[in-house]
Amino acid sequence: MSASWGKLFFQLVLLLASCGHINTKTPSPTSPSLDPISPLPSDIRRVVLKGESHTEKVELLNPVDLALECIWSGNENKSPNITGYWRKDGEEMQSIRVTVQLENDKYTLRQVFKIVSKENLGSYSCSFGDEAKVDFLLAGPQIGEVRDKPIVSYVGDSVVVKCKMDEKKPKPVSWNWYRANGTDKEQIFYAAEPQKYEIKNHEWATKLVVHKLTEGDSGFYYCEGVYAVSTTMGHVELKVITFLEPLKPFIAIIVEVIVLVAAILIYEKSQSKKNSAGGNETNADQTNTPTPGDNNGPEESSSTRQRKA
Amino acid sequence: MPPAAETKLGYTPPDGGWGWAVVFGAFISIGFSYAFPKSLTVFFKEIQAYFSVSYSEIAWVSSVMLATMYAAGPVSSILVNRYGSRPVVMVGGLMVSAGMVLASFGTSIIHLYLCVGVIGGLGLAFNLQPSLAIVGTYFHVKRPLANGLAMTGSPVVLFTLAPLNQFLFDCFGWRGSFLILGAIVLNCCVAGALMRPVNKSVKPQPKTETPPAVSEEDSAQSSDLQIEENQTESRCQGCVQRFIDFSLFKHRGFLIYLSGNVVMFFGLFAPVVFLAPYARHQGIDEYSSAFLLSIFALVDMFVRPLTGLLGNTKWIRPRIQYFFSFAVLFNGVCHLLCPLAQGYAGLVLYTVFFGMAFGMLCALLFEVLMDLIGAQHFSSAVGLVTIIECGPVLLGPPISGALVDAFGDYKYMFYACGVILTACGIYFFVMHFYNYKKLDEERKQSLAAERRTSEEAVKLKMSPDDKAAYEAEG
Repeated sequence: MSASWGKLFFQLVLLLASCGHINTKTPSPTSPSLDPISPLPSDIRRVVLKGESHTEKVELLNPVDLALECIWSGNENKSPNITGYWRKDGEEMQSIRVTVQLENDKYTLRQVFKIVSKENLGSYSCSFGDEAKVDFLLAGPQIGEVRDKPIVSYVGDSVVVKCKMDEKKPKPVSWNWYRANGTDKEQIFYAAEPQKYEIKNHEWATKLVVHKLTEGDSGFYYCEGVYAVSTTMGHVELKVITFLEPLKPFIAIIVEVIVLVAAILIYEKSQSKKNSAGGNETNADQTNTPTPGDNNGPEESSSTRQRKA
Repeated sequence: MPPAAETKLGYTPPDGGWGWAVVFGAFISIGFSYAFPKSLTVFFKEIQAYFSVSYSEIAWVSSVMLATMYAAGPVSSILVNRYGSRPVVMVGGLMVSAGMVLASFGTSIIHLYLCVGVIGGLGLAFNLQPSLAIVGTYFHVKRPLANGLAMTGSPVVLFTLAPLNQFLFDCFGWRGSFLILGAIVLNCCVAGALMRPVNKSVKPQPKTETPPAVSEEDSAQSSDLQIEENQTESRCQGCVQRFIDFSLFKHRGFLIYLSGNVVMFFGLFAPVVFLAPYARHQGIDEYSSAFLLSIFALVDMFVRPLTGLLGNTKWIRPRIQYFFSFAVLFNGVCHLLCPLAQGYAGLVLYTVFFGMAFGMLCALLFEVLMDLIGAQHFSSAVGLVTIIECGPVLLGPPISGALVDAFGDYKYMFYACGVILTACGIYFFVMHFYNYKKLDEERKQSLAAERRTSEEAVKLKMSPDDKAAYEAEG
């Protein structure tokens, strides 16, 4: 961490030394990329602050010279000068504290940051004194489709855990999978346990297949899409249960069905007994023997028709 | 045409009493038959990932189930003719249950096709046809209402199963859900237990007591069928009732029904399938699009019994075929007007009207067949109808999908379905107008013939009496 800070500091000193501007910053439309060594593309994010604070999300994939610009219209007492400074992840970057002058009824803070590695990402804040602040959150793109409810699977079965990136966003260079181990994340290496884990990578999606599940495999699994400078993380929860779990409602419903069918048939038997006790024998024959009854039905009526004809 | 219960069936249908329990059983059975294949789509995404297959391969599970359910109609009819409704429905329930339980242990997609598709579909076929048939044996006067109530099972069960399936999936994954669904579907056996065979020993009542509007056309058609039946019986004593009655293909009403329905089914289900995708295409979010289907199911649920009630009234019952033709026409007009619907409010309005039209049509679908054929032949008729309708039912949505893909716009699909249904509605109106005229003529002829035969019978009766009188004297 300190090594990269040192690098950044050194680059800034070089920049300042070469252009000679230190205190006054004018809102210039073009970014003075005066460092002849860097061939990086440049990008700018400009925020006009309304109110006291604002948060801006910036998605970054590749190395870039990122210019962050904050414009503030000031408050009631518009002092001619105000201290403008930058923070990274809450820590102030002392070297680039400047005094901002009021120009065209606005204060403007602008800084170019070189984003080349994962450490350069994070939260950058520009502040005007203690009064106004803009946070820039530099991160990788969000994972598109992740299932928020746990995936349920069974002991001895295999399961497919899937992570999908939104196809409108650029595809990751590679994917990694991690398993939560307490508070840490342990990477799953395909080669280490090929019988257990299988990782299938497509362009915008990745699948982790876990074979021969045990109850210990339950927990959170993290998929990480790796870009040039950033990574993006999604998580899926896996729950492994035994077959006894669904078996309980299954048996309960079967018992209910058997009870109902028995009740209906017993009720019918008792009804027909009542009828036969009443002395109506033909009725009893009809209801006691349902199967031959239906068979005889059409034949009886056909015979009556024949008699009629 | 409904045969006069007295002349044709040889008994008086109860029109109530245990009949309502039978209607409830039919409600459950029919509900599972229609709603079960549709409700399984909730599991498809995970099963697709698990077996690493494409979506169309997994969608085949539902299609195979639906196809088997329709194609096994004749088998179901034969069994009902031979053994009655109750054993067939109970066996059907056991089969679907066994299919789902076996499928929960499935190791390949083929396994699912066989267990859920074939075995499950066969079981559902054994639920559908007998349920429809037994309602006809218990009801005559209140039959449209009973049919309407029984058919309401489909939207009610679908409405219940869809969120239930989602809940089961979240708790137990797809395997556990299939196991539990296997148990839930066993309730069809309970429905089957309710389907007590109707008591046929009750003596037929005198003809004057029946509503005159009903009996007039009955006797004409029944005499028509009687003649046909006597011919076939002379060839094969009693075996017609045991198997399929192919003489139905000479029946004018049956042919009208069959020809119209085959064309109609091409355009009937596609709009249901594409309602949510069409809404999403219009820019409506996924949740609201799915909500349209819920509105559709709710409207459907209430319209079906209402249609049954309406069909029972003395103004509509004698000419119920026209009511059915109107329902088909209503569907067609709805679809033709659908592309005019703007925004979510317009789509909701379309969904409400479509729900009404679809509910009316489904409530009357089998009632009009019973009306044309009579309860006696109904099980054979419905078996033949379902196997022939199997083709359009399966081909309808994919052809519509191809239309949507070809033109890139849903409105042509709606126009096509609307045209098909409107044409079928008009066809039904015309053909049934002709059919009713013919039936009235036949009724007049048969009444005249009956008068002649009763006069001859009186003369014949006189001669043996005279003979006996001579012998007694001599």
